[in-house]
Amino acid sequence: MTFFTIVVRGLIRRPVRTGLTLLGVSIGIAAVVALVGISRGLSKSWEVGLKARGTDVVVSNMGRSLTPQPFSASARDRIAHLPHVAATCAILVDLMSVENVQMMLVSAREWNGFSWNNLRLVAGRMPRDPLEPAVVLGRTAADLLRKKVGDKIQIETAELSVVGIVDGSAWVENGSVILALPILQEITDNRDKINVIDIRVTPSTSAGEVEQLCAQINKLVPEGRAIAASENISNSQAYRIVQAMSWGTSLLAVVVGVLGVMNTMLMTVFERTHEICILLALGWKRWRIVRMVLWESALLGLFGGVAGVLIGAVGVSVLGRTPAIRGLLEPDLSVNLLTVSVAIAVAVGVISGLYPAWRSSRLAPSRALRA
Amino acid sequence: MNSSISAATFAAATSATSAPVFDAIGLEKKFDDGRVQALRGVNFRVMQGEFLAITGPSGSGKTTLLQMLGALDRPTAGTLLYRGKSIPDLPDQSNYRAREIGFIFQSFHLLPTFTALENVQIPMFETELSLSQRKDRAITLLRSVGLEHRLGHFPAKLSGGERQRVAIARSLANGPSVLLADEPTGNLDSENARLILELLVRLHDEQNMTLLLVTHDMSIAGRASRTVEMKDGRVVSDQRNNAKGSTK
Repeated sequence: MTFFTIVVRGLIRRPVRTGLTLLGVSIGIAAVVALVGISRGLSKSWEVGLKARGTDVVVSNMGRSLTPQPFSASARDRIAHLPHVAATCAILVDLMSVENVQMMLVSAREWNGFSWNNLRLVAGRMPRDPLEPAVVLGRTAADLLRKKVGDKIQIETAELSVVGIVDGSAWVENGSVILALPILQEITDNRDKINVIDIRVTPSTSAGEVEQLCAQINKLVPEGRAIAASENISNSQAYRIVQAMSWGTSLLAVVVGVLGVMNTMLMTVFERTHEICILLALGWKRWRIVRMVLWESALLGLFGGVAGVLIGAVGVSVLGRTPAIRGLLEPDLSVNLLTVSVAIAVAVGVISGLYPAWRSSRLAPSRALRA
Repeated sequence: MNSSISAATFAAATSATSAPVFDAIGLEKKFDDGRVQALRGVNFRVMQGEFLAITGPSGSGKTTLLQMLGALDRPTAGTLLYRGKSIPDLPDQSNYRAREIGFIFQSFHLLPTFTALENVQIPMFETELSLSQRKDRAITLLRSVGLEHRLGHFPAKLSGGERQRVAIARSLANGPSVLLADEPTGNLDSENARLILELLVRLHDEQNMTLLLVTHDMSIAGRASRTVEMKDGRVVSDQRNNAKGSTK
């Protein structure tokens, strides 16, 4: 029998209570995994999408909404000639309700712009000209909308033809309805308006030069803001709100977990007062009693954390397949997030066990001779 | 001897050739901010290898005295020495409880979620014994109390007598030189009480252990080499018994 045998026996002597506490902790940690995973997935999906399009710098005005604010298409002409700019592509992107799908990314791109180049045709063809009333669908979008080449698709009041299905090498691209810029400008009454300019820099451009380029663009296009593609989404106020809400809700769930474990450990110490006094009477040091209580609570956190990570991962995976989210973002369940979640759970356990452990260390061994 | 025993009288009475294990001089213990006085100037000496029975009515201070001797509580006043060292001032009282003292309780106080074998190993966690050494020693101890066939049984599956034998094996786990037994037969039927007493006497005889046993039962007290009677927190009688168990 090892010391851990004693610790584990302490936990399994009240299996229902231990089970309920584990459930409480695991739900809290599942919330952390799900909410933070989704918010980080949002950022990652944008980043991967930009990378797939070959974009190095993005000019946009990420205000309070999840999609950027429109500005004049002439902005593109103001920056196209700048040093280190290899190519530009004006884009109008919006989150719209498309037929039976509540929220779908609709991405209209400048005709012949480089942001079309990453799209690989899976079926059908690309639009023939910028004014053809046609769209290509990312694979996931086609799946969600249940459309195939030759079908019609209703976007706001316009009916367009689905002429192709494409693979865009990123969740965001595959979940998008993609069309030529003038068509969406017309549909959404945003003539001569765009809300994103994708910029590809020349191959030898250093990070410092990209920074300088962004500064130049910001002077020339005050209605937008130029930033390196990797930082784009984190610049969005809406994204920051989503992220803050994710962590806030997660923190609340963690606090509930702390209270649950603390309650269980306090009950355990109260119930086992006599037993702890006997251990003291038999010569156990107070520090060993403290360690026993802390290990019990840490194990509650660990097991709850592992269960929570599994529940959270499965939950997010299921959520990622729902029509509301599928194609919009890829939940980021990185090893880092899962490890941090389990570490949070263990910390929850240890912190929750501190007060009960302190209480147990204050018990008088003389109580062993009573009863 | 019905009056309180003075320290000098007591020292003279116990001036045997062996070394003193415990010395209590003017020992006092008050509870509840002094409203209850459990010990009122107890003078007391116990020699190595003695079998001492402590008797007296409920509330006479027997268990409180045992708590002081086992470093489970601190005296309010007076001196209490173990082999010449002040027990309340020992730097590591848990080490004293773990290595020098073996406790036997009236209600056995075995941990219910551990088997007999595991219960006996519990005090050994404060020693340097390895996992296998702890297990081997526990098996040896349980065998010595006749429970080798009950190693894997939980306390709930053991009879009262068997539980107390496990508790005795546990009290011997770290090879103590003193056994403190608080009414060890109080919860047992007469047959099991007899067996437990025989076991304690055998341990005392074979290992020259110092045995202090609190009891109400005068027939059990008669088996001791010496009987101390307490009343109202004082030692009112201290007598040596003859070999057959009658008092001198």
